[in-house]
Amino acid sequence: MEWSIDNSGPRYTVNFSEKEGLLTLSKLISNGEEISFPEISFSKDQQSGRILVELDGIRSFAHVSRCNDEWWIHFQGRIYVTNMHEPGSKESSLSEGSLSAPMPGTILDVMVKKGQRVREGQTLLVMEAMKMEHRIQAPRAGEVTSVYFQKGERVDMGANLVEIGD
Amino acid sequence: MLPDWMISAPNQFNSVLVANRGEIAVRILKAARESGLKGIAIYSDSDKNSLHVETADESVHLPGKTLSETYLNMELIISAAKESGAQAIHPGYGFLSERANFAKLVKDSGLIWIGPSPEAIETMGDKISARRRMIESDVPIIPGEELAIESGSNPLGVLATSAARVGYPLLVKASAGGGGKGMRAVFEPKMLRTEYEAAAREASAAFGDGTVYVERLLTGSRHVEIQVLCDQYGNSIHLNERDCSLQRRHQKVIEEAPSPAVTPEIRNNMGQAAIRAANAVNYEGAGTVEFLLTSKGEFFFLEMNTRLQVEHPVTELITGIDLVQKQFEVAAGIPLNISQNDIGITGHSIEARIYAEDVSKGFLPAIGKLSMWRPPSTPGVRMDSGFREGDEVTIDFDPMLAKLIVHAPTRDAALRRLDNALSEFVVLGVTTNVGFLRQVSKSEVFSNGLVTTDYLDNISLEDFNEPEISESILISIAAAASRLGLDRNIISGNSEVVDEYSGHSGDPFKTLTRTYP
Repeated sequence: MEWSIDNSGPRYTVNFSEKEGLLTLSKLISNGEEISFPEISFSKDQQSGRILVELDGIRSFAHVSRCNDEWWIHFQGRIYVTNMHEPGSKESSLSEGSLSAPMPGTILDVMVKKGQRVREGQTLLVMEAMKMEHRIQAPRAGEVTSVYFQKGERVDMGANLVEIGD
Repeated sequence: MLPDWMISAPNQFNSVLVANRGEIAVRILKAARESGLKGIAIYSDSDKNSLHVETADESVHLPGKTLSETYLNMELIISAAKESGAQAIHPGYGFLSERANFAKLVKDSGLIWIGPSPEAIETMGDKISARRRMIESDVPIIPGEELAIESGSNPLGVLATSAARVGYPLLVKASAGGGGKGMRAVFEPKMLRTEYEAAAREASAAFGDGTVYVERLLTGSRHVEIQVLCDQYGNSIHLNERDCSLQRRHQKVIEEAPSPAVTPEIRNNMGQAAIRAANAVNYEGAGTVEFLLTSKGEFFFLEMNTRLQVEHPVTELITGIDLVQKQFEVAAGIPLNISQNDIGITGHSIEARIYAEDVSKGFLPAIGKLSMWRPPSTPGVRMDSGFREGDEVTIDFDPMLAKLIVHAPTRDAALRRLDNALSEFVVLGVTTNVGFLRQVSKSEVFSNGLVTTDYLDNISLEDFNEPEISESILISIAAAASRLGLDRNIISGNSEVVDEYSGHSGDPFKTLTRTYP
């Protein structure tokens, strides 16, 4: 299994030595190289969803929860998300120049047409979610090569809205 | 069966239907139970398994898909009340709480309305009439004008003339707006068109009214509001102020009481002005008069919210008064049994609003399933929420997950308690603003009590970035958790994931201690 902090971050593989339910981090590899790490070990806790972490001799708890391929972690008062990947799987990325819906919602207005030149920061369309308006702006100057939705349509999170070419 | 406190009341009732959902419905239903009243919930399809339904003694299903078919459907809610034998209706906040015609419909149907009269709601709900009434009652107001824009006409000429008279920077507000919707700041004339169009669109989407109000924007001011409580016999008191200056785009983020900027003299003057405002509309029940407080200590009337506020708990904690219980008493026609001299301030209280949102992506609403939800539980910490572990956060409703409210002897102690409570709040599976709230509440400006309403809008959010932690620690925690078999497949609720290491499905330990659904 490979691990990363966000999907685009570097991938890690992790090795533990195991003794009587205690896992001790023994090797950490990223991009084919061994990474240095602190003295850290883990064991199961009585409470569900919680593990005991001993970091540089200090014990504390981490709450963890798996949601699909994400592992959510609450540790030392902060919340983090890590990703789990099948070894060798490709990193997911949208095609260059595409703009995806940052949340599910409704398209309120489309301000650009296919073939139109836009400048950086120009509002391309307006979405509504949770009764608030959000403006989708051009990340860079270029020509609109595709517009996938019309005014009034509902879109899912991550849906491709507009493509901008050079 | 009537509860003891109701026995000599002129308008008795033994059951209350809560025309709302989420945390406020839960709050009111719990208060009803505590007061010996039967609590009745209403719910739409998507709320079938929600906490407020579970909290209620009884609940009535509202068929329909949209809000206007369900929680905003006045006739349907009245018939739900009749069907369930409810004798009173509490509207909560939002939804129908400030619809005068709903209040009237409730009363005309022979039910008790837990709130002020339809006339009071109507007068205060319209910014023009509220303003006129405040001038008559000697309550200071902000310079501004209202524009009646006819459909089909081009409003920009009229708007620009009016804006020039009022002066920039200014606020364009839809008359029927509220809660930051349909309200836009305009800093220079060339932005007027874009911002007006956005305000009009937001207002008609949320409230069905496109009328516009232009008002001078007082930058560098604080938002301070007074909680008032009035009975049916003209007795009115105030319960001190709340400071809601920490806002983002006019949405409150953290509220506190008392205000670090309010002296006993300002409190008294503002309190008296709030009482005059309430008396001007013969107010009944719990209400809030909002003011802008300038750095010079002048204050101006913003609006009156003729309902319970989201941030009402901070007032409850410093005064020891249960506002919902008081609303029940006033609606029953019981005279106020407390006078202004009985109202003190004990300690300091702060409320942080926990939202499902991604601060790093411009505060976009986040969705998902609350795979782990373990709120802090320590002395001086209260949490009001409509969610529990396993619940789904969708885009259908407001993204507020919970209100975390702390109370401590001093402001400094309350700040420490807040930070500690936020750090102990385990909420996994949905992105929240918890980390951001910690950073903001620890910021120098907030901890010194110097926040003005424009603070968050004018600061780089990088100032609130959370401290970094080494990737190797996080990666190894996740890998160890996986290796120790802590997978809880909560996305497809009824099928467990096969443990990738041992090959068996889950382990019995997990199933025994799971606290959901």
